[in-house]
Amino acid sequence: MKHSVNPPPTPDKDVAEAFEKDELTLREIINIKLVESGEKENLMELVRDRLVECGWKDEMRIACRELVRKKGRKDVTVDELIRVITPKGRASVPDSVKEELLNRIQNFILSAAP
Amino acid sequence: MDLSSQVFLDLVDSVIADVASECHRIARLGLDRDLEVVEEELRLSVEARAKVADPSNNLETNTKYVVDIFGQTHPPIASEVFNCMNCGRQVVAGRFAPHLERCMGKGRKARTNATTTTRSSTAAQNRNPRRSSNQRYSPHPNSGSENQLASGSPGVASEDCSNGTVRGNGKGD
Repeated sequence: MKHSVNPPPTPDKDVAEAFEKDELTLREIINIKLVESGEKENLMELVRDRLVECGWKDEMRIACRELVRKKGRKDVTVDELIRVITPKGRASVPDSVKEELLNRIQNFILSAAP
Repeated sequence: MDLSSQVFLDLVDSVIADVASECHRIARLGLDRDLEVVEEELRLSVEARAKVADPSNNLETNTKYVVDIFGQTHPPIASEVFNCMNCGRQVVAGRFAPHLERCMGKGRKARTNATTTTRSSTAAQNRNPRRSSNQRYSPHPNSGSENQLASGSPGVASEDCSNGTVRGNGKGD
């Protein structure tokens, strides 16, 4: 019997890539499960409610208005708004909200894992 | 776990995109009546009003001809010439009412002229006393210009006399 020996991917770069690919797939799997079970929708609603309650959304709208005032009402684009708002938005989420969401997500992943 | 953080960030990014989209729409449609914008528009409208009320504007152009919202000017006396539907003559629009008064025989002035020009003097004399007494009670809007036209024009029961060429032959086109 003749084996065709496949050399293992020894170089580091390949290992990293393979690792990344696996993680992407895992993330995709989780995402699919979230959507199928309807949990993603629940989480979205929860996030929106929490962020509105704590005034985060108003802060974001003020920031948007600032940008609109600077760039002019008719020249501003959605992409530009998103690009400018995102770093500020991600950073200003209250810790309590973040914690609550992370817990729920972790629970989901644990329960969904085979 | 990094995975859950990624999922979390994914959710937050979605909400951010929603907010950005909403603000973009409001900005483009001008629905957000910003304080600055309102102030600016208010300032402009005040300026415009001052300009309109300013007496140092060209008074010659303003007193005679009023400009309407479409930018059209209307001369105070309508100058268009058309044909009277009663007698068929050419009439200046601005003089149409007095013309009709005579043309349709509104009353005394018209008939007086008719009787004096078309009928015999005896008949006119018989009728005149009545006329004069009537004239005392009901005043006529006697204008000098009216007599000018009346002298040549007959009353109701009239055949076409000399064509009353009215002044201002400019046709409003």
